[in-house]
Amino acid sequence: MNQRIKTILDDIFQKKHHVFRQNIAPDVLSGFTVSLKEQKIPDVLRVQKRLSWVLQNELPVILPGEKIVFMRTVPKIPEIFTEEEWTEIRKEHYIHELGRICNISSNYSYTIEVGLEQRRKEVLQSIDIHLAQGDKHGVQFLQVVLHAIDDIEKLADRYAELAINSGREDIFLILNRIPREGAKTFREALQFFRILHFGLWASGNYHNTVGRFDQYMFKYLKNDLDSGTLDYDSAFELLEEFFISFNKDSDLYPGMQQGDNGQSLVLGGVDENGNDAFNLLSEMCLKASLELKLIDPKINLRVTKNTPVEIYDLGTELTKQGLGFPQYSNDEVVIPGLLSKGYELKDARDYVVAACWEFIIPGQGMDIPNIAALSFARVVDTCVKKYLKTATDFNSFMDGVRQEMKEELESIGPGLSNIYSEPAPLQSLLMNGCIEKARDISVGGKYNNYGIHGTGISTAVDSLTAIKKYVFEEKLVSAGEISDAIRNNFEGSDRLWEKLRYDAPKMGNDDDFADHIAVELLDAFSELTANMKNENGGCFRPGSGSAMYYLWHVKDIGASADGRKKGEPLSANFSPGLNVKVKGPLSIIKSFSKPDMKKIMNGGPLTLELHDTVFRNPESIRKVSYLVKSYMDLGGHQLQINAVNREQLIAAKEHPELYRNLIVRVWGWSGYFTELDEVYQDHIIQRVELSV
Amino acid sequence: MSKGTIFNIEEFAVHDGPGIRKLVFFKGCPLHCSWCHNPEGISFRKELMVSHTACIDCSKCREVCTSEKCIACGRCIEVCPLRLRKVCGQEFEACELANELLKGKEILINSGGGITISGGEPLAQPAFLFGLIEHLKPLNIAVETSGHAAAPIFQKMVSVVDLVLMDIKHTDPVIHKRYTGVDNHQILENLEFLCGSDTDFYIRVPLIPGVNDTRENMEKTAWLLKDAKHLKRVELLPYHQTAGAKYPMVNKQFDPGFDTNKKVNVWKDVFENYNINISVL
Repeated sequence: MNQRIKTILDDIFQKKHHVFRQNIAPDVLSGFTVSLKEQKIPDVLRVQKRLSWVLQNELPVILPGEKIVFMRTVPKIPEIFTEEEWTEIRKEHYIHELGRICNISSNYSYTIEVGLEQRRKEVLQSIDIHLAQGDKHGVQFLQVVLHAIDDIEKLADRYAELAINSGREDIFLILNRIPREGAKTFREALQFFRILHFGLWASGNYHNTVGRFDQYMFKYLKNDLDSGTLDYDSAFELLEEFFISFNKDSDLYPGMQQGDNGQSLVLGGVDENGNDAFNLLSEMCLKASLELKLIDPKINLRVTKNTPVEIYDLGTELTKQGLGFPQYSNDEVVIPGLLSKGYELKDARDYVVAACWEFIIPGQGMDIPNIAALSFARVVDTCVKKYLKTATDFNSFMDGVRQEMKEELESIGPGLSNIYSEPAPLQSLLMNGCIEKARDISVGGKYNNYGIHGTGISTAVDSLTAIKKYVFEEKLVSAGEISDAIRNNFEGSDRLWEKLRYDAPKMGNDDDFADHIAVELLDAFSELTANMKNENGGCFRPGSGSAMYYLWHVKDIGASADGRKKGEPLSANFSPGLNVKVKGPLSIIKSFSKPDMKKIMNGGPLTLELHDTVFRNPESIRKVSYLVKSYMDLGGHQLQINAVNREQLIAAKEHPELYRNLIVRVWGWSGYFTELDEVYQDHIIQRVELSV
Repeated sequence: MSKGTIFNIEEFAVHDGPGIRKLVFFKGCPLHCSWCHNPEGISFRKELMVSHTACIDCSKCREVCTSEKCIACGRCIEVCPLRLRKVCGQEFEACELANELLKGKEILINSGGGITISGGEPLAQPAFLFGLIEHLKPLNIAVETSGHAAAPIFQKMVSVVDLVLMDIKHTDPVIHKRYTGVDNHQILENLEFLCGSDTDFYIRVPLIPGVNDTRENMEKTAWLLKDAKHLKRVELLPYHQTAGAKYPMVNKQFDPGFDTNKKVNVWKDVFENYNINISVL
């Protein structure tokens, strides 16, 4: 990282750019919303006026030394409906999250290539066609898109003006061409992306993913390098500045938690012909992220059976930084999974990762991959109450579990009827087919499928395993006794509780007894969702992610048969139970690759925690790479590794029960952190502090 | 049929030989190094191991205990509500242990790894060791040893494994005996054999402050290795403050007999002068 980048990075860390943020009083925002209501105009015109309002209120800022501009100074986007109006809308419609288009992936590349003026021509042509057809709504939508193009170009002009007035001819020259014309150079392409991305956030859309950046940006980089316009170092410097730009406004973006902003960037994987597409830019992105150590953009790395271990090494070097990425996804599993749900091969090969882990198609998909969640833990909880005492054997109990899953899943569909999202004209411009069809993306894209997370999978598996073993096989405890103990949160049943919690087989130990129940449960999830359709004719995609549901769903249930007491958390995503002491990472990847993850294709990673000392030298980095590769070779779909950090160690010290698997390398040996005496725990925490 | 006792299996060892390795620890060691970080590996007998950190002092373990001196009977283990107690030391038939270690072997093979047999001292249970190795072949096998074993056993081991990881704790017999309980003539004799053999090996030197971290001792160590054809590297393992961590768990006192706060000297250049591949772990 050179001095210029260091300075920019430092300024962003110190939030120096926040001084440019305007102080817009809340009543100005609410006043704007009320005025929209009073004008009695439809939603599509409201979103047009909102974008105009935001972009016109923006004040161009060029921070010292920066080459890629556009930064938010309007901190908050006004609503287009008043609260009363939203209440009315909610009576008739299902509203997903904020009621705005989110968590999809744009086709940035076409617009960056041809420029907004070419896009304007296409919109005008489409207006002619739809006028002739008498399609009033279509024409109105297209006119709003034209407005959005105007608004963006105007703001770019104001940036250009500021550039020339502040002696930044370089920026002026770029903004003189783009976004009107298509980008010719790498720097222009990056600036163009920034403008479009900025425009999406300013439109109120969120979880605006970045997509296959290394694929659509590579030709600009290659041209510049081939022609000698750029050398590698200056290209890398531009890339680093571009990555920093994702962190300028991210605290303003909507999300469940700070950092949950969906700026996912995908690298590698196969191209449309099935050939490995990892390129120089993919490598540069991994290296830039490694140097910057910023949480945005979030790096996803697609791998195939042909991905060489050296590429995993680059990923592992990044994991070592402790940011929790890259997140790996396996083309050999994800692509067949998408095909099985009706995605075309060309589209499936182009998949990207949504805000968290869901697999979606850039430019095509209006999938809502996080619309609902099935709580496996609750299903088992209900079945224990409903069926356990009458079940004659484990198989008949499992029939009950399947029945309960079926009922839960069937109850999801009707709750999602008549879905409504605010129109999203700029987002529509960046989705294939919307302009030709004169239809906003909010009414649907090529794919309109819904994803259902599966939460508490390991809790459910471990509970069923304990029931199978102790109630039905060993008959150590009767159905009545275990049901009562669970209902009473194991009060007065200490011995049973200990048995269930510590001695029962668990998922994550490469024990077929437990793992086969996971296979059975996930197969059932896949079968039961196979014929479900949503109101748009789309399918339902089963997944293994939990999002925040692993915290929410725990509130619906009491204790469970795996010895988890009431209120204790479920594990996040696709991971062993939090109080399960597993044999090690090899057993985990074996267990978690037994279910056929092609069927659980919505996404949701296995999460592994490795202490940062296993990343100590190139030799051990290589071994972590092989661990990742092994999971993929075994048929794993998605994996994320945490290099364990100080905060976690401190938490582990306070709550040893939740961190039983945390392995630390101490000297010439590894041990379980929670088993060490306090003085040694403190010592290791101290060491981690030093190593940062 | 050969039986033996181990005290742990580690699944993802990354610093004990090439590739991903499972590491199995044999219980029992003829040496008593004062800096030993695996005190549960010293005794050949099973013993009780208790993790005190999370203990809530519920006294259930004391209520069921009937013997004055712990005999590792295990009665207190199952009454511990947090399962903080265990018997350290598990008996296995060699073939039975091999089956356990071979689970997931494709991962080990694909990464160029295998199994590392450590301890304790693996050569102190020779029949078990050779039985196990036979069952594990053709997997890549490494043995980590102090080198303190009868020559025929040592030599047989060298001939059947793919890699030897051997310690040189000190070159001086008197100091060696003072800190490890045995003098080093047997070790040096075995080392000489190893240096002349066709088996790949690493030498590991635990760097103990004020005990063996002198330039002179390092010079002597390097000199011993100067003609070894199959020495792949020397690894220096600087003493770490955490070495005593597990002593309270086996009810032992950590009494290393040297100043643990002293900074260790790391003489990499000594080995580099002999063109020996040197790394510090």
